[in-house]
Amino acid sequence: MIKYLATASLLLAGAYLSTTPALAADPGITDTEIVIGDVEPLTGPPALLGVAASIGHKIAIAEANAAGGINGRKIKYVLEDDGYVTARTIQGVKKVTDVDKAFALLGISGSGQSIAVMPLLEKAGIPTVIDVAPVKFLWEPPRKNVFVVGQSYEEGIIHLVNYLAEKNPGKKWGLITQDDDYGITVRDGFDTVVKARKLNVVYSGNYKKGQQDFSSDMLQLKESGAEVFLAGGIIGENIAMMKELEKLSIKPVVGIFWPGRVEPVLKLMGPAGDGIYAVDYVEPFAGAAGKAFLEKAKGLLPEAEMKGINRYSMTGYAAAKVLIAAIERCGKQPTWACTIAELEKTKNVETGIMAPISFGAGVRFSNQKLQIMQSEFSTLSFKPVN
Amino acid sequence: MQYFMQLLISGLAIGAIYGLIAMGFAVIYKSTGLVNFAQGEMTMITAYIAWTISTTVSGNVFVVALGAILAAVVLGLIIERVVMRPMLGEPVFATVMVTIGLAVILRSSINFIWDAYPHGLDVGFGRSIVRIGPIGVRTGQIAVIVTLLVLLAVIWAFFRYSKIGVAMRAVAADDRTALLMGISATRVHALAWAASSVIAGIGGVFFALSYDLSPAMFQLGLKAFPATILGGLDAVLGSGLGGLLIGITENLAGGYIGSGMKEVAGFAMIIVVLMVRPFGIFGERDIERV
Repeated sequence: MIKYLATASLLLAGAYLSTTPALAADPGITDTEIVIGDVEPLTGPPALLGVAASIGHKIAIAEANAAGGINGRKIKYVLEDDGYVTARTIQGVKKVTDVDKAFALLGISGSGQSIAVMPLLEKAGIPTVIDVAPVKFLWEPPRKNVFVVGQSYEEGIIHLVNYLAEKNPGKKWGLITQDDDYGITVRDGFDTVVKARKLNVVYSGNYKKGQQDFSSDMLQLKESGAEVFLAGGIIGENIAMMKELEKLSIKPVVGIFWPGRVEPVLKLMGPAGDGIYAVDYVEPFAGAAGKAFLEKAKGLLPEAEMKGINRYSMTGYAAAKVLIAAIERCGKQPTWACTIAELEKTKNVETGIMAPISFGAGVRFSNQKLQIMQSEFSTLSFKPVN
Repeated sequence: MQYFMQLLISGLAIGAIYGLIAMGFAVIYKSTGLVNFAQGEMTMITAYIAWTISTTVSGNVFVVALGAILAAVVLGLIIERVVMRPMLGEPVFATVMVTIGLAVILRSSINFIWDAYPHGLDVGFGRSIVRIGPIGVRTGQIAVIVTLLVLLAVIWAFFRYSKIGVAMRAVAADDRTALLMGISATRVHALAWAASSVIAGIGGVFFALSYDLSPAMFQLGLKAFPATILGGLDAVLGSGLGGLLIGITENLAGGYIGSGMKEVAGFAMIIVVLMVRPFGIFGERDIERV
């Protein structure tokens, strides 16, 4: 009787294991599917980055699915809108992890939103690759399950200001930043170089998030006699600033940061936007790598989504490639532990749109190589400069 | 002096846009006793429709202007009929909450119907720069100041001399008595929503001409609201002038005190004014006899 019960128990256990998800311990994975979750701002002004990043994820996922999925499992992408509201980001992450049972996460909205969900991610232990808004807090101290693809805002600004300072020695400087965490990071990076190089800063402005008229700010900049200007706006703000400078008939050397380095901005700035310097760690669309990326996207995306592509699509694509590759290396039975271990082993992964990506033991930040670009109004594009 | 004049002209230009939107607030309040928290969003929708017309139908300034005005009328009438009329007789708090809900819906619709990218409204007018001595000003900025002044005169004449204008004032003063006099309050309300949508929409279109079109444009409503409080919530003309005052104050504060003060100055000003005149500079004192 005991022998019979033991045999029956083993058979039942076997049957259970063969009909339920491959590994009951980690959610979001069945014999045929792996769920990847994402929370982005898809409405409101920041949708410009959220939609683009999600498109990048979609391209990488479509590419993987077209090649048969991850070891035979198709990737299902679950995307939630947080409207750039932190409370909704937290809700969104809870939804994709608890309800949709995501196996891994990508993206995660802006810098403030990523920071806010960090305790949730750490507690859940879900493999996560962040690609939208890289800020130091996300990898310092390193969290076991959270990886960041990109470069820090502060390093980006330091690189840009150093470049402009070398090219424009002895000039007077002006800076304007937004009154939030983004603006503080930009200002911190700027101040680091100002101290190190003893730059002569004659104008330092701070605008309130949402400000649309920069007439008095730019007039102050003009009066200060600034010859090099770091425009710390994001998208609309930088456009408004450039148009004001055009109205005031001044053309300082202008530097902008990568959140504003999207091509449609150049059309709106008009000739005033010609020759602007920008810093970034992804390739410009005007180059061979950028063109190849767009060509690849054409075959994988619906026509309507093509117009939503910008630099954030590249960062999203790269992050998704790294995550998919890590899951793939785990073989037929991927687990969270294995995925995290494989993410950590990521070494020189080529994406074609930024420098090779690497992490390491205790290293959760890919620390991408930066490059300086300059805008060209005639072709509405950014081109790398030496 | 040149610095001051540049600040003044830029302040007048942005203030004229605030003024137009503020007049939209006041028209609805004067006729229905309601503060429409979706005013900024209605402004934005009209500007987006104007942009759509300019890119799909014709870039001719008259076609775009006519199309945008018609679209604003339809938008105002639909909102009044579908959203606001069912709320007639309901507590003011509930009705105001409906306008807040409407604002969220309209704001979100931008990404669903259009996209999150900024766009330029190009109708072959408004973007070129005119030099008045050393001072640069865009033609769109001059046009919006002139438009506000013309509209102030037209609206003054409308409320003073036209039958409909007098009927609107009557409904605002006492809707029950107006009803007994044969005035249809619902018709007046519909007209007020349409007029408010058009006036604010003009402000939105001028903003898109001089600056750009983006999903953040709804924030103009937040800037125009202090203007209408300053001018007087029930004073249509006062709200227009309030916009100019806010625009000038903001720019002078930004230019002489610092960038950070720019956004604060308008609100600081209304606090001071409301302490002296709680009903706004041009508003009417609300007298209740007991």
